[in-house]
Amino acid sequence: MNSREMQPATGLTPEAMDLIETYFTRVHGALLIAAAGVCEDAVDELREHVLEQLARGAGTPADVTRVLAELGTPEALAARYAEAEAPGGSSDVAPDRSHGTLLGMPYDVRVPSSDRIASRWWDPMDARVFVPRVFGIGWDINFGALAVKVHLMRPDDEDVPFAAVPRAVVTAALAVPLLLSVALLTVMALLWPALPSSVPAHWDVVGRADQFWDRGWLVGFLAVMSLAPLAFAVVVHVRSRAPLNRVAATALSTLTGTLALSQFVQAYLYVQGDQGITPTFVGLGLALALPFLMFVLLSRVGRAAEQRRDLHDTTKKESV
Amino acid sequence: MGTDNDSRLSQFRKGVVELAILALLHGGEAYGGEIVERLGDHPGLAISAGTVYPLLSRLKKSGVIDSVWRESPVGPPRKYYRLSPTGDAEFDEMAHAWDGVTEAMDELLRKEGSR
Repeated sequence: MNSREMQPATGLTPEAMDLIETYFTRVHGALLIAAAGVCEDAVDELREHVLEQLARGAGTPADVTRVLAELGTPEALAARYAEAEAPGGSSDVAPDRSHGTLLGMPYDVRVPSSDRIASRWWDPMDARVFVPRVFGIGWDINFGALAVKVHLMRPDDEDVPFAAVPRAVVTAALAVPLLLSVALLTVMALLWPALPSSVPAHWDVVGRADQFWDRGWLVGFLAVMSLAPLAFAVVVHVRSRAPLNRVAATALSTLTGTLALSQFVQAYLYVQGDQGITPTFVGLGLALALPFLMFVLLSRVGRAAEQRRDLHDTTKKESV
Repeated sequence: MGTDNDSRLSQFRKGVVELAILALLHGGEAYGGEIVERLGDHPGLAISAGTVYPLLSRLKKSGVIDSVWRESPVGPPRKYYRLSPTGDAEFDEMAHAWDGVTEAMDELLRKEGSR
């Protein structure tokens, strides 16, 4: 900041100096607001350059105004500095540590939104099958990229994911997680008397139970695991969010519903004396396969609707 | 250092790819796979399907290109892309600006560059 005291040699009128000081104070202010960690020296250098340029002319307030006008408003200039600093060009300039990379692993601890879940799970245009996890550390599966990879579809099959799918079909898909939850509650109610007070809740790699829970806790936990995402999905549907969000929320509750049901079956079979953790693996497989199938089938419906619209029109126009 | 350079290169390629797609569609409509393939013939652009499709989607959203499904003589129907009237105008403008940029850059690189 002592550079400011070294300036009087420029021969500018005090009025002209005032204009420059005001301008650069506003630039610094705007940079502070943008929270851009821009090296203040870079801005000071520009200030020197302006002063030098003015020293060559008469340095009247009118000259100053002209030169500063070339730089644009202080806010616009600050924005360009901030942009140069963060070449990603992202709109959130403020440093945000709620998501990023940790030891090479992506993480994200922002509250998951249906937008973010949706765009991670189904983005056929993105070639990456593994995408940064919506919440937590690690990766999620981009079912869209997977479907493209195994040649079930092309990346641009749908202009906007699921937008052309009839609304009733998107809503009807909710029946899948709904049925899973109903099945879970029914099975739990029917088998409750057959459960001992303490039931296995976790298995080691060789399939031996290594954690036991009170049966009430386990049943409650699995019910919440199945019902909470279902309730979330219903809210997303009721609020008429984008079709992609609605489908993704349905897929998410299908995944958790399948896991909860398979965990209960696993616990029940175990206490019945059936060793092994086959139900867990079957559950895991289905928990991924069912949402995948749901995404692909609905996307096919959307593609068919787009094709009906276009091919019908073009046959009219082009079949001479 | 290498990765730093890579990201800088990919940064300016991204801007170029958009013009490349518009230029290709200026010559006539094409489907997604065809666009990827034909741009792939220019290794200097280093374009992959992962770059082309999101860009097509963005260009379509902003009304620069249109898409339409057409029957294919060899297989299932394909989605073809073409420039919209806005896209035509935008292409002319961008191509003109590009000429100015390349001219200036050629001169700079020849004069100032040590190669």
